[in-house]
Amino acid sequence: MRIRSVVALVAVLSLAACSGDTGPLSTDVLPDQPAVTQTAPPAETAPAPNCNPRASLRPAGSLPAPGDMPAGSYMETIRKRGRLVLGTSQDTLLFSSRNPFTGKIEGFDVDMGRQIAEAIFGDADKIQIKVIAYDKRVSSAADGSVDIVADTMTANCDRWQDVNFSSIYYEAGQKVLVSSSSKAKRIEDLGGQKVCSAAGSTSYENIGKVKSSKPVIGVAKPAFGDCLVAFQRNEVQGISTDDTILAGMASQDPYAKVIGPRFTEEPYAMAMSQAHPEFARFVNAVLARNRADGTWKKTYDKWLGDFGAAPEPPKAQYQ
Amino acid sequence: MTTALAARPAKTIEQRPGVLRRVGGLRHTSPGRLQLLIAVLVALGLLSGLLAGVAGSSARAGTDDLGDRAQPLLVEAEAIYSAIADADTTAAQAFLAGGLEPQQLTERYDEDLRTATTALTSAARRTQENGRAADAVRELSSGIATYNALVATARANNRQGKPVGSSYLSEASRLNREALQPQARALFDSAQTEVEDGYGKAGAAGWMSLLLLSLLALLIALILTQRYLSRRTQRTFNLPLLAATVVTLLFTVGGLALLISQQSRLDRAANQGSGPLTSIAESRILALTARGDEALTLAGRAGSGPYEVNFDQTVERLMLERGPLLNAYGSLDPALGRYMDSAATELQAYVTTHKEVRRLDDGGEYDDAVDLAIGPGTTEQFDGARKSLEQALDNRKAFFTDEIDAAGNGLGLLTVLGPLLALVICALGFAGLRARLEEYR
Repeated sequence: MRIRSVVALVAVLSLAACSGDTGPLSTDVLPDQPAVTQTAPPAETAPAPNCNPRASLRPAGSLPAPGDMPAGSYMETIRKRGRLVLGTSQDTLLFSSRNPFTGKIEGFDVDMGRQIAEAIFGDADKIQIKVIAYDKRVSSAADGSVDIVADTMTANCDRWQDVNFSSIYYEAGQKVLVSSSSKAKRIEDLGGQKVCSAAGSTSYENIGKVKSSKPVIGVAKPAFGDCLVAFQRNEVQGISTDDTILAGMASQDPYAKVIGPRFTEEPYAMAMSQAHPEFARFVNAVLARNRADGTWKKTYDKWLGDFGAAPEPPKAQYQ
Repeated sequence: MTTALAARPAKTIEQRPGVLRRVGGLRHTSPGRLQLLIAVLVALGLLSGLLAGVAGSSARAGTDDLGDRAQPLLVEAEAIYSAIADADTTAAQAFLAGGLEPQQLTERYDEDLRTATTALTSAARRTQENGRAADAVRELSSGIATYNALVATARANNRQGKPVGSSYLSEASRLNREALQPQARALFDSAQTEVEDGYGKAGAAGWMSLLLLSLLALLIALILTQRYLSRRTQRTFNLPLLAATVVTLLFTVGGLALLISQQSRLDRAANQGSGPLTSIAESRILALTARGDEALTLAGRAGSGPYEVNFDQTVERLMLERGPLLNAYGSLDPALGRYMDSAATELQAYVTTHKEVRRLDDGGEYDDAVDLAIGPGTTEQFDGARKSLEQALDNRKAFFTDEIDAAGNGLGLLTVLGPLLALVICALGFAGLRARLEEYR
């Protein structure tokens, strides 16, 4: 009985995430100020047509050999340029964060990008990392200022209207992080309290949709690292976003804990411009190969191994 | 009229017409006229003495306030602004260096904060309790404490290898750029206004011109008195009155000379001291802002963004012909010209290096761009320019202090000697007329 109601809740919420998400080119909807406090989610924009956000473009044939990209393809453009431009963040520990010792940006997302560079050049280091704000992820991919975005980005129907997503490379779900002394068991217990998330993220949208006696007050910061700063300075009582990002934060703060069940589904995919569908097919082919040959599992173990053995990689779905 | 007078108490009716009639009646008799002249000369002499004392001490107070308060406040406001901007740059550069912050940068950051807090303490003494400057000082005091706490937390996290350290640093940088620097700018601007107003107060033009007018009136009164006496008596010259005239003339000429010299000193202090000082300070602030923009662009790793736009605008303002950096400084002082020329050359070289940094970063060579930006070559270039600007600032500070000291020099003399001279004039005038008055007894 209880399990069924939780499943039903998740289904309802993920459906809501699909239709009531940040509108096309989300930058216009959420003000990109350093901190925005609001109690209700932004006004619903025109809902996107229903779709399967997990279904991407099917790979065409076998992968070309590194350094030998089909003429006229976007991969050839990248090869000629000499580097792949990856858009990501620098403060999402485990996925893409700056290693304080080396100054290099590294993590699961960065390795996803490096595997694409490897497939194009035969050299994973031919990659330029460009840090983009959370609320610029859709627009950066759409306008071609980066080749590909790998930045804990949820594939959803709204965003599909502006960008092409790859197949899903990671399944996350939203949870909430609170102080270790907190009595809250789930996000619904945080009614009337301030909960932080990154501006322009689906997580921020979801905070406004939490049903509780008093509405949970969403606080938007430019990046998740800023949320942790706000949490440690007692400006907010909690941080809510995908469980894996929260795990990275909790590992930096022994006085924080992650609570509750996953209350949304957040399938991560890489975003690319719709102008080059052949590039999305190519990326999907690389992902398919890496799922099959154990590269995905190795990458998981490297960054997320502390949370248990690697699960099966998400199954690719195609349109 | 009569009914009004009749309504008054009896005593006044008796007294007032009595005094008036007696004073009015004086001018009909020769001794009476002499008595009136004594009264006029003594009154004008005392008035001149009083005005000399007031004008001298008011100009003295204004000049002291300018030299000991307003000008140091301007210098301190600039020191606070530069130190805060430099702390932001230094923190960002230490972050870029990766790993543990280089000792050299930690020391510079500490030095910056020390400079800012020390200057802030003295600035607090030099501002009035209320007003824009005082608000800025209060905001800065609490803001710098918060800023330092954020940077310290960033360092502690960085030492433990926690990436949240960089988020603390960007929070600190936001505070620095969005709260502290605007407040430092407000303090700098209001100090600038106070210096400009200070010149007016130091001139004490109102009191000075009243003094000169009163001296002129005294001079005329003396001359007319002597003419009256030489016509009425057989003596052509009245020696004490002649002496009084000479003293008054000397007093007037001396006062005028003092006024002119003090005004020209103040003008020189304004046009060649605090004016250029403000421009040089502006140059240093602009240069530091540009350097900070470069570091923040690299720390943000987002390619040429808003900070780079700000860099271009800042450099454009800095490099303006006849602007804060490139101007006729050499005509004020050849040494100053040399300092500013070398600052300009070094900053131009730095801007060229910066273009190379951007070319590398935009071309995907991030690590090389960072190495070039915070490497010893670029640091030397920029620090050279900083040093030259520092020397130029010191040069103008010294000039200003000299001029203000000189402007204050004669004022003490005026305050003390002015009233004394006036007493001498009164005594001489009294003596001269008293001798004639005796003849009627």
